[in-house]
Amino acid sequence: MVKRILIVEDEPNIIESLSFLLERAGFAISSEQDGARAMDQIRALSPDLVILDVMLPNRSGFDILRDIGALPEGPHVLMLTAKGQARDRQTAEDIGVTRFMTKPFANAEIVATVQEMLA
Amino acid sequence: MPHSLAGTRIRQQRKRVGLSQTALAAKVGISTSYLNLIEHNKRRIAGKILLSIARELGVPASTLTEGADSELTNTLLEAAAHSSEKPAEIATLAEFAGRFPGWSQLLGSTYRQTREQEDVIAALSDRLTHDPFLAESLHLMLSNITAIRSTAEILTTVSDLTVEQSTRFHAAIYEESKRLSDATQALIQYFDKTEEPETTVEPSLEGLMLDTATMPLEQFAARARASDYNPSILAAEFSTTLHAVFQRLAGLKHEGIDAPEMGLIITNAAGQTLHRHALPDFPLPRHGNACPLWPVFQGFSQPERPLQDMIELPSGAQFVTLTIALPRTEPVFGTPPDYQSAMLFVPRAQSPWPAMTQTARPVGTSCRICPRENCSARSEKTVL
Repeated sequence: MVKRILIVEDEPNIIESLSFLLERAGFAISSEQDGARAMDQIRALSPDLVILDVMLPNRSGFDILRDIGALPEGPHVLMLTAKGQARDRQTAEDIGVTRFMTKPFANAEIVATVQEMLA
Repeated sequence: MPHSLAGTRIRQQRKRVGLSQTALAAKVGISTSYLNLIEHNKRRIAGKILLSIARELGVPASTLTEGADSELTNTLLEAAAHSSEKPAEIATLAEFAGRFPGWSQLLGSTYRQTREQEDVIAALSDRLTHDPFLAESLHLMLSNITAIRSTAEILTTVSDLTVEQSTRFHAAIYEESKRLSDATQALIQYFDKTEEPETTVEPSLEGLMLDTATMPLEQFAARARASDYNPSILAAEFSTTLHAVFQRLAGLKHEGIDAPEMGLIITNAAGQTLHRHALPDFPLPRHGNACPLWPVFQGFSQPERPLQDMIELPSGAQFVTLTIALPRTEPVFGTPPDYQSAMLFVPRAQSPWPAMTQTARPVGTSCRICPRENCSARSEKTVL
């Protein structure tokens, strides 16, 4: 069964390249640019993995991560952000993020990480 | 107050007045060997002998018994504690300060300066970390870079892209790189703004009064349109100077008049900007660090000669410029004229003036943010 990934990211060109890469790797991709609508999408789509940015319009990625943590059977979360400072990583890990990657990323690296997380 | 320093002070003062130990000892009625012990801080001194020595040396007794200034001693102590090097000899600190007051002051003030500079660095570092504009800019730039890198990697590593995909990815790179260059430019301008004091000089009151009184807005705007914005014709019609006309023309758009958007810079011979009206694609540095290749500076080499030019900034934006340097005041015999040069500029595509040339001369904005390599006019390294 095809695994479903939701990309929550406000930068359309990053969504475009990630979608292209991950679709080629055999995943079904959806995306959401607005932080405030992310949880609705997660509930509606029940993705296996959420690729989550931190700095999003209307709602922070950290807040979304907290809500995902409260779901009974929440998806895996790959935090993908330009905020790579130690304290941000710590915050994400404290909340319960599965993996944390910083931008900019190498395409092969992110595809490999996603494949590993959904294996 | 360490008495141990009194001996050192006595020795210094004795040498200052040119007395031998024997002579001073004889004058105050003690043995030379006892004075020697005192001078080497091996005997405490007080009372009558101290007063006698002070009198013979011609100084107040307090001069001999004063220890080092306590503030200085504290500073030196702080310096010793702050140092990560081999610990200083704290036990002999007071003696050091007493024997070498000048060096101690120097050491103390150097330490204080170092601490102040550390504070400034810490504050700047703090600001770099927490400044919302910087954080936002860096986040934006990293996002742009991420999109560019990922998209470029797809274009170079995926061989079976459709034409439509390829076109879309190329467009994405173009779009992101443009946003990246805008963000970089904004960041450089932000640093320029915060590093330098605000030096924009508003037009002088006299200039403003001249504008409105001799060139009423509606009348001037109508005549400007009728003359194709020819400053020479307008200066003659309104009996005013070309610089005043330049100012009025550059202000038309701001006044809500439908006219080509014109920028203006007026400088003195020292290169200081006296008046600036920038255009979105033609930023003007605040003070004295503009590109020396700009026609406004060439005006000074040919005073009172009207110059028309076409220039191209590193961004590729082209502008038609009109420049003239004029004396600020009426000529005074025996006094060199004080010239100011003004450059009126308009984007090439909007230029109302007949083209004198089809070739734009490359110029910069200011060296710091100019990417033109091997420029003979470069005066400092670029940060780009």
